[in-house]
Amino acid sequence: MIQALDRLTPAISRGVTLIGVMLLVGLLPWISGRDPAMSILRARMGEQNPTPEALAAIRERLGLADGPFQHLRNWIEGLFQGDLGTSWISGAPVLPGMLEAFGVSLLLMAAAFTISVFVAALLCWPTMQRGLKGRDTRTSGGIEATLTAMPEFMLSALFLVVFSVWLGWFPPYGWEGVAHIILPAFALGLPGGGFLGRLLANAIAATFHERWIAAWAVAGFSRGQIARAVLRRCLPALMPQVGMIIVAMTGGAIAVEQVFSIPGLGRAVLGAASAQDLPALQAGILILLLNALAIGVVANLIRVALLGRALGMGALPVRELAEPAPDRRLWLVPCAVVMILMALIAFGLLRDPFTPQYIRLQPPSLSLPLGADGLGRDVLARIAHGAISTIGLALIVTLISLVIGLAMGLMPRLAIGLIEVTKATPPTIAALIVVAAMGPSAIGAVIAVSAVAWAPLAAHTAALVSEARAQPHVRIAPILGVTALQLIPRSILPEVFGPVLRHAMLRLPGNALALAALGFLGLGSPPPSPEWGLILADALPYMERAPLAVLTPAASLALMSVLGVSLASLVRR
Amino acid sequence: MKLTLLSSMLIGLTLASAVHAEDPRIGVAMLQPPRSGLSPLSDDAFKLSRWSMAETLIRLDSNGAPQPLLATEWNRVDDKTWRFVIRSGVKFHDGTDLTPERAAASLTAATQAVPKPRILDGVEMTAEVDGDAVIVRTEAADPLVPNRLSSPQLAILAERAYSENGIVTPTMAGTGPFVLTRINGVTSAHLDRFDDYWGERAKLSGIDADYVGDGTARGAALRTGTAQVVEAVPVSQAALIDPSLIHEVPMPRTNTLYVNTKKGPLVDPALRTAVRDAIDRAAIVRTVYEGRADEARGLFGPALPWADPLRQPINDISAKAPEGTQITLGTYTDRAELPEVAVLVAQALTVAGFKVEQDVREYANIEADMLGGNFDLFILSRATVLDSGDPVSYMVSDFGCEGSFNISQLCDPAVDAALAAAAAIEPGPARNKAIIAAEAAILATGAAVPMLHERVIQGEAESVSGAERDPRERRLVTEYTTLAE
Repeated sequence: MIQALDRLTPAISRGVTLIGVMLLVGLLPWISGRDPAMSILRARMGEQNPTPEALAAIRERLGLADGPFQHLRNWIEGLFQGDLGTSWISGAPVLPGMLEAFGVSLLLMAAAFTISVFVAALLCWPTMQRGLKGRDTRTSGGIEATLTAMPEFMLSALFLVVFSVWLGWFPPYGWEGVAHIILPAFALGLPGGGFLGRLLANAIAATFHERWIAAWAVAGFSRGQIARAVLRRCLPALMPQVGMIIVAMTGGAIAVEQVFSIPGLGRAVLGAASAQDLPALQAGILILLLNALAIGVVANLIRVALLGRALGMGALPVRELAEPAPDRRLWLVPCAVVMILMALIAFGLLRDPFTPQYIRLQPPSLSLPLGADGLGRDVLARIAHGAISTIGLALIVTLISLVIGLAMGLMPRLAIGLIEVTKATPPTIAALIVVAAMGPSAIGAVIAVSAVAWAPLAAHTAALVSEARAQPHVRIAPILGVTALQLIPRSILPEVFGPVLRHAMLRLPGNALALAALGFLGLGSPPPSPEWGLILADALPYMERAPLAVLTPAASLALMSVLGVSLASLVRR
Repeated sequence: MKLTLLSSMLIGLTLASAVHAEDPRIGVAMLQPPRSGLSPLSDDAFKLSRWSMAETLIRLDSNGAPQPLLATEWNRVDDKTWRFVIRSGVKFHDGTDLTPERAAASLTAATQAVPKPRILDGVEMTAEVDGDAVIVRTEAADPLVPNRLSSPQLAILAERAYSENGIVTPTMAGTGPFVLTRINGVTSAHLDRFDDYWGERAKLSGIDADYVGDGTARGAALRTGTAQVVEAVPVSQAALIDPSLIHEVPMPRTNTLYVNTKKGPLVDPALRTAVRDAIDRAAIVRTVYEGRADEARGLFGPALPWADPLRQPINDISAKAPEGTQITLGTYTDRAELPEVAVLVAQALTVAGFKVEQDVREYANIEADMLGGNFDLFILSRATVLDSGDPVSYMVSDFGCEGSFNISQLCDPAVDAALAAAAAIEPGPARNKAIIAAEAAILATGAAVPMLHERVIQGEAESVSGAERDPRERRLVTEYTTLAE
C-alpha cells in the first residue's frame, strides 16, 4: 500500500499543483483588486467613460456578481464537456484561438531549439577536445555566459534592424513562411544555446573525472567512442533542463513574439491576463501547464531510459575525488571583469545620473564618454549608479532561488509537480498574484521573481540527487549506519552544490532583467532609478541612433554573468 | 490527370498574376491588433472604416460638419426626433440590398450591445423604420445626433454579420468600396475591391493589413517596403526615415497634467499655480517629441482650428513657493513617451522646490488608483473629441462634479455651469464660444495643466497617393487611393 502510494507520489504531486494553480488563476480577477468589468470595458474600447451603468451591464452579462466559486464550478463543468468557455471580451470560444497560438509557439520553439542544440554543440566542442586529450576540462565559460546574458528583446530588435532593414535578407514581421521563422528563432535560440552549452560543458567536464574514462582509454576505445559515451553519461542529468528550455521557449517567448508580430501563446496569455479575460487566461494557462507537465514526464522517461539499469542497481560511476587545483589562468577572466566593472563604476559614480543636462541622444565625446540617453541624461553615470542595486538585487534573487531550489530538489518526488508547474508559470502571473496580495512595492519584484526562479534549479538538483543516490558508496551508507538526514550533508550536497551553483550564476542576468520587467505592474524600483534592465529597455528604440546606450547596459549584464559563472567554476567540487 | 491538374494550376497562377498586373494591392501596417475579432461594437470599428469597408449613415467633413453617406438627407423632426432618408441602390458585400429596415436593425443592435459603444455613452436612443427613412429618437434632446451617427461604431452591416449571441462578424457584410474577405486572427486581414460599390469603383484591387505592435518593426515596414502605408510611426523611428515618406497629422489629443484638487498638498490653489509655472512645455516638445508635437495653449490644439482665436487671457491666482512639499506623480507606460515626459516634469518640479516621487505602471494597473485620486499629479494623454467630433462630453467627464473620469477630483460650480451651458447649444459658432468659456473656467481652477498636443506620424511609400491623413483616425485607404507601379 505504502509502496503503491510512493510510486504514485509524482503523479499526485503534479495533479495537486495543477489544480492549485488553476484555482488561483480562477480567483485572480477577485483577488487582484482590479474590477474585471473595468478591464473588459477598456479592452473593448479605449477611453470609454467608465459610467456605473456601463460597468453594471458588463457585470450582469458576465455573471460577475455570482462570485468566483460559481464561476469556477461552471468552468469545471464545461471542462468535462471539452468547453473552455467564451472570451469575456470578444464573446467567441477561447479554445480554438489558444490552440492555434499554441501551434504557432510549438513551431517557433522547434526552430529555436534546433538552433540552441547547434550552438550548444559548438560551445562544448573545446571542452570535449580537452577532455579527450586528458587536459583540465574546466573553462571560465565567458562565451556561454555572454550569450545567455543577451536579452531576447534586445536580440530581436538588433536582428530586425541588421538583417531586415540594413541587409534586407528577411521580412521584418509576420508569420507566413520559413523566412519569417529564422530571425525570431535565432533571437530565441542563441541565449538558450549559450545556456545549454554551459550546462553541457560543465557536465562533460565533470564526467571526464570519472574513473571509467581512464579504463576505457586503456582498453583501447577510440576517442569517438569515448566522446559518445561521455555525452550519453551527461545527458540524463540535463534532460530536465532541456525539457525546461523547451517549455520556456513555448510559452515564454513573449518579447520575441511582440517584436516580430508572431501570434504565439505567450503573447495571447499575457494579453488575456492584462485584459482580465478570465476564460481566455484559464485556457491559456491550462495549455501552458499541461504542456509543461507532458514535457516534464517525457524528459524524465528519457532520463531513466538513458541511465538504464545503472540507476536501479545503484551502480552509477563516481567522480575522482582528488582533483587538480584549478588552473591559475582561470583567475584571469574574473579578475579582468572585476577591473572593467570597477573602472566603469569609478568613472561614473562622480557624475549626475538624473539631470537631463545634455542634448537628447548626444553622441559620445571625451566629456560624455558613452553619450546621452533619450532624455539627455549621462549614460555612463546611470550605468555606474545602477550597478550596485542591479547586481545586488539580482544576486539576492539568485541566492534565494538557489536555497529554495536545493531544498525542493532534495525531495524530488514530492516536489516534482510544483517544480514543473512553477517553471511553466509566466513570471507575470506570479507578479500579478504578488501585486494582488501586497500592492505595488520595490520588494514585491524580488518576491515575484524568486517565486518562479527556483524551479529550474530545483529540477537540476533533483536530477543530480537521484544520480548521487545511485552511486555505490551512497547506496551502502544506510548499512553502515548513516541516517538519511546525515547522508544529505555528507554525500549528497557536496555532489550537487557545485553544478547547481554554476547553473544559478548563469541565471543572474536573466533575473536582473526579470526584476526590471515587472515595472509595468508597479513592482521593483520606480523611475528614474537607473536599473540596468530599465536603461536597456528605455534605450532600445534608439538602437540605431545611439547604439552605445543599448550596448553598454547589455555588455554590463553580460559582464555580471561572466563574473558569476567564472567565479563559480572555480569552486571545487 | 496529374498533368491537367498541374496545367490548370499554372493557368490559375498566370491569371492571378494578370490580375495583379492590372491593379495593385496595398500593404498596410496597423498599430493595434483587433481587440474583439473586428466587431464594430468595439474599437475595432475604426479599422473597418480605415479600410473603407464599413460605412455609416453620416460622415464628417474636415471641419467636423455632418455630410451624407448612407443617408442622403436628414432633418430634425422635433427636439428628440431625427429622420434620416436611406440611400437607395446600395448593395452589401454579400449581394443583399441596403434597406431602411437593415439600417434600423444595425443601429438597434448597437444600442443594445453590452457594453454600449462609446459614442452612445449616456445616450438612450431608439431607431425605427419610416418609409424610405429611419427615425432616430433620443430620450433627452440631443443636438449631436447626426455627429454621433458618423461614428464607425454605428456602421450599417448586412444581416449575416449579426449572430444570436451578440457577436458581430463583419466579413462580407459592409457596403464600402472594399470587401473584408479574410480575418486572420490578430495577425492580418485581407480585403478585395467590391465591384458593385454604389460610389466610385476603387482604384486598388485590394488591401493586405498586418498588425504590427512594435514601433521599430513598423518603422522597418516602411524602410523595407513591406508595407506601403504605416500607421503611427514612433518618434524614435521617424528620424531614421526619409522625411518625404512621413506625414505628421495633428491629433485631437492633449497631453495633460491633472492636478488633484481634493486630496494632498495641491488642494492649495497657490501651489497648483506653482506646479503650472514650473512646467517647461518647449523642453518637453523638443526633447521627448523631437519637435513633432505642438505646445499647448489650452485643452484643445490645432486639430480644432477654431479654438485658439476665441481664447481670452485667464485670471489666476499667484503662485506660492513649494518649500519642499512632497508630491506624487503618476503616469503609465502604454504610450511610450509618457514615462519620458514624467521624468522631465519631475525634474522641473524638483528644480521649482517640490519633492517628487514617481509612480509609473501599465495603464490597466494604475487606472483604479488614478481615478481614486491617489496621486497628486497625473500625466494622461487624453482624446479631447471622441467619436462625435465635439469636446463637451470629454470636459464633462473629466472636470464635471459628476464626471466619471475626474482625475483631478474637481467640483467647481462655475465649471459645471459653463459646461451645462455649452452642452445645450447646437453645433456651430455659439457652441464653440461656450466651449472655450468652459475651458477658461477649468483652466482658472488650476486642476489641469495642458502640456502639448500630439501628432500622429503616418508613413506612406513614395508610390502611394490619395491615402487619407485623418486626425480622427477614421479613414486611411479609400476608393481614391492609388499605388504607382
